[in-house]
Amino acid sequence: MAKARALDKRRKSIKNIRKITRTMELVSTAQFRRAMERAIAAKSYTDRIVRLVADLARAGLNAEHPLLAPRESKKRAALLILTANRGLCGGYNSGVLRSGLARLEELRREYDEVELVVSGKRGVSFLKYRHYEIARSFTQFDDKPAYDEVVAIANEFLTRFRSGDLDRIDVAYSKFTSLSKQSPVAETLAPLTSMTTEIESQSAEASGEVEYEFLPSPQSILEEVVPSAFKVKFFKCFLDAAVSEQIARMMAMKAATDAADEMISTLTTTYNRARQSQITNEIIEVISGASALQ
Amino acid sequence: MNDNNTKQNVGRITQVIGSTFDAEFPKDALPPIYNAVKIERDLGEIKIRLVGEVQQHLTGGRVRCVALGSADGLIRGMECVDTGAPVSVPVGQKTLGRVFNLLGEPIDNQGPVEAEEYRPIHRDPPKVADLATTSAVFETGIKVIDLLTPFVRGGKAGLFGGAGLGKTVIIQELIARIASAHGGASVFAGVGERTREGNDLWREMKEAKIGDTGRSVLDQTTMVFGQMNEPPGARLRVALSALTMAEYFRDNLGSDVLLFVDNIFRFSQAGSEVSALLGRMPSAVGYQPTLASEMGALQERIASTKHGAITSVQAVYVPADDPTDPAPATAFGQLDAFVYLERSISEKGIYPAVDPLASSSRVLDPQYVGAEHYECARRVQSMLQKYRELQDIIAILGVDELGEEDKLVVHRARRIERFLSQPFLVAEVFTGKKGEITPLKDTIRSFNEICDGKWDHLPEQAFMYVGSVEQAAEQAERMASEARKK
Repeated sequence: MAKARALDKRRKSIKNIRKITRTMELVSTAQFRRAMERAIAAKSYTDRIVRLVADLARAGLNAEHPLLAPRESKKRAALLILTANRGLCGGYNSGVLRSGLARLEELRREYDEVELVVSGKRGVSFLKYRHYEIARSFTQFDDKPAYDEVVAIANEFLTRFRSGDLDRIDVAYSKFTSLSKQSPVAETLAPLTSMTTEIESQSAEASGEVEYEFLPSPQSILEEVVPSAFKVKFFKCFLDAAVSEQIARMMAMKAATDAADEMISTLTTTYNRARQSQITNEIIEVISGASALQ
Repeated sequence: MNDNNTKQNVGRITQVIGSTFDAEFPKDALPPIYNAVKIERDLGEIKIRLVGEVQQHLTGGRVRCVALGSADGLIRGMECVDTGAPVSVPVGQKTLGRVFNLLGEPIDNQGPVEAEEYRPIHRDPPKVADLATTSAVFETGIKVIDLLTPFVRGGKAGLFGGAGLGKTVIIQELIARIASAHGGASVFAGVGERTREGNDLWREMKEAKIGDTGRSVLDQTTMVFGQMNEPPGARLRVALSALTMAEYFRDNLGSDVLLFVDNIFRFSQAGSEVSALLGRMPSAVGYQPTLASEMGALQERIASTKHGAITSVQAVYVPADDPTDPAPATAFGQLDAFVYLERSISEKGIYPAVDPLASSSRVLDPQYVGAEHYECARRVQSMLQKYRELQDIIAILGVDELGEEDKLVVHRARRIERFLSQPFLVAEVFTGKKGEITPLKDTIRSFNEICDGKWDHLPEQAFMYVGSVEQAAEQAERMASEARKK
């Protein structure tokens, strides 16, 4: 009896877990659609503006911009890690954190000081547990990061970078390529050189040499375009992270629901067997007792 | 057997049912309950020689007996003679080094036993006033047993487990470990298990030496066998025969005796086989209604008194891996240390497959084992308990969903789980790994260090089949260098 009851209890608890995972699966499917639309919408604009900056950088020649120039000084760097506020998304958080921490180690070797900025409760609690010092943390970004809020942070970074307070800004997040491919990456946002070289190779063949005429002056154009490229790119990281999170959650919850289904079915079989043998046993006892009395 | 030369009390068989038979005696000379009755007859090619034990008195001068041997060839009307006493077995120094059946007859082809004394196998348990209360820990050198289910010197330990989990191997290991270090006598009772195992054991004991005295362990051991080929009556009484011999060493020689019983469940099983034939109504799960009292009568005699101690280790088969089955459940209550072997652990390839959470011991208490040992054991258990609770979540959601603290628990619990395995002395020939005797001190230190996280960096596999934790480090080194070679 004890066995059947224990099995039933366990099955019930797994059914409850399944309910949660199934709901999370449905919710994340809905959220993922919206997040993906936003990310895709932002993608072409981001690509274009980054390419533009790259082209300008090559064409601008004598024009200089602090965001484009490599920095000699290696005093202080900032690393932004974008994680989720919630769990139940498989290896999403740990993947991002792993690549983030690897980058952190690299930065620490190169720079005197590295400032750690984290978004998402999961990342915060993980890093706190490991006794990492967190300079700033955000937990307000969920599946729909607001442009205004993100840009506020971007502006802050930008100001500090220009003033020379920061010599490098890196961000670790999960890059969204397609529905079936999201990969945790660590990228350098400022100075923009690395970003532009990445694009350059693609754009060189695509657009070929482009001749620009600057009006009123290359300097003023760069002054306008480069910071907005940075901001857009910055925002795109948040969007990518949001989509990746939803996809990761969708996949993880689907796998979890399947695993729970399988467990429930094996437990049901075992439970039924235990119950059946218990009944058989009791019948045998009654019958043999009765026949022994005859 | 006490042959009655004066006037033999002769009866006749009136009914034979399986391994029980009824016999009619003169009304004024009924043999008392538990008396042995003998049937001897020569039918030319077949010689019938059978001893039965009186179990019930029926009406009309009839008694119902259990056959203690094969009832083949019994015929109604055969003569059966009351021996005037219960089955009696030889006791004393002369029994050491010999192998007996339940009737006390030597079965090792080494000639008759010239014992000075015979004793009936049915005796009363020691009086309450005579019982000794000891709670000293008995070190075995097996990590999981010493840490989580410390055995009691002069106490009873039970090894519970389903089919094929290694009960017999642990018993043999304990014999190899304890008996070879033990100066006094040992008694082994083979109850309803494989005859081959008895044979293996005999050979092993013959080869094993006690300490560095050069004498073989067998010289200090008495073995009594009633294995699974024997009829139920034999399996029902063989434990008592062995116990009677052990009791003599305790009471008359005042020595500390080791008593190994493999397997006490067969005793209950044999009882259930004859119970219905004796006309008793079956009780829960078809067992005999007298299950608890039979077990109690046997277990109560395995006790330590002021004269001497009997330390016993008993294997208990658990039918269908269900410990709530009445037979193991009645045995459970009698024991000081309770070692439960679990199939899911043996499936992971971890031997001894002791379930660290289901097993327990009366002396696992700071009062007896000391605070350090107790705390360590509890720490290990709570970590494994936590891991077990998390297992369903891991199975469904994956290990990534756990919090940092839980991940660490899982990380260490998996290492502890593997570290509970240990290479056995008796398994050396099969595994090629040298048996490890780990002192309790090392065991406690090792487990504490694993709990503290000192060995988190070693791979899980390094913890398999090692003695102390330093050997795990060595094994990790070895594994790494082998991997490099490849």
